[in-house]
Amino acid sequence: MNDQWMNRLSEYLDGELDSTERSGVEAHLATCGQCRATLGELRQVVARAKTLEDTPPAKDLWVGIRAGLTPGRRPGVSRDTTPARRFSFTVPQLLAASIALVLLSGGSAWLALRQGPTTTPPPESIAVTRPAGTRVASWTGSTDIAIGELEAALTQNEKRLDSTTVRIVRKNLAIINRAIAEARIALRNDPGNAYLNLHLADTMRRKVELLRRVNDMAAARS
Amino acid sequence: MPRQVLEDTLTADSIAADSALAASGDATAFERLYRAHVARVHTLVRRMLDADEADDVTQDVFIRAWQKLSTFRGESAFGTWLHRLAVNVVLARRKSVGIERGRFINQEEPLEGLTGRQATPELSMDFEEALASLPEGARQVFVLHDVEGYRHEEIARMLGVVPGTSKSQLHHARMALRRHLER
Repeated sequence: MNDQWMNRLSEYLDGELDSTERSGVEAHLATCGQCRATLGELRQVVARAKTLEDTPPAKDLWVGIRAGLTPGRRPGVSRDTTPARRFSFTVPQLLAASIALVLLSGGSAWLALRQGPTTTPPPESIAVTRPAGTRVASWTGSTDIAIGELEAALTQNEKRLDSTTVRIVRKNLAIINRAIAEARIALRNDPGNAYLNLHLADTMRRKVELLRRVNDMAAARS
Repeated sequence: MPRQVLEDTLTADSIAADSALAASGDATAFERLYRAHVARVHTLVRRMLDADEADDVTQDVFIRAWQKLSTFRGESAFGTWLHRLAVNVVLARRKSVGIERGRFINQEEPLEGLTGRQATPELSMDFEEALASLPEGARQVFVLHDVEGYRHEEIARMLGVVPGTSKSQLHHARMALRRHLER
């Protein structure tokens, strides 16, 4: 064993030696069994590092994180100091809140359709987040899930509507879906674009409103 | 669960859409991003710092991510952006608790101690435990280089050392860890 060479084995392994140094290490390895064995072990360490698994925290941290999402602070606006509390909201926050409200009302309508007119919708706050692990009705939780549920409800209920109405609704939904898809594709290239974010939020709101109105219409005809 | 598996499982489309929705103020979309990435972030933090700090620092990472979403331009995967942010938060934490450059460099002694202890056959320590037992400087370089895939030049910039120090720490860490390979 020679410490001079032993100490270069990691660099040799990582391909960071120049040709002269590399030749020197290889010449030494040809005659030193201990360094060859160590090199093999170092290679195993590197391989082992690449297979280390990620493990989630023992407890759910979302509640603490949610509490840190300052209500009056627009996401994306970084500040080093805590701002004075202001009772004002940004346009995106208002839009997010409006979507949440529409989802709540849309979901309530859907629940009413599924469970009958005497069903009382579950109480919900206007908050756009919910505690981790809280399982409420399946239409809550995300805009996409809510839309999916409302679409499923529409599929079930559209037989109560005349074919012309169904055709028009499906045509409008296709237009909205195309607009949502295009907005998402555009946002992939420019995620921070305020207009695209607002456009996507507004288009999704329109979709939820359309689905809610159609389901309300179907319920009225049942 | 291997690194990147969550990003592989969740489609790039849904993550991109959620990051856009979160940037517009949708905390529910942000919660989905949190759930998709928390294991990777928490593991990184736990390996880089002491385990008892991991929860607090992980929360800090996600709160900062929420605040800085406008700086995510979609040029890389959201997970990559978040990961780099987490590294920066960890390094800031490292400074804030008074870990100075001199201490980072002068960590040969405890590293040798670890290596020596493990030379005795009766001791058994799995790889993660051995990694956690490394001196902080060697541990951070090993995690950043061998686990997370950063280059020595990047690590040196992040840690405020020269690349040679990063290489030296990495070698010492590997030499210590080779005795803890599961057979």
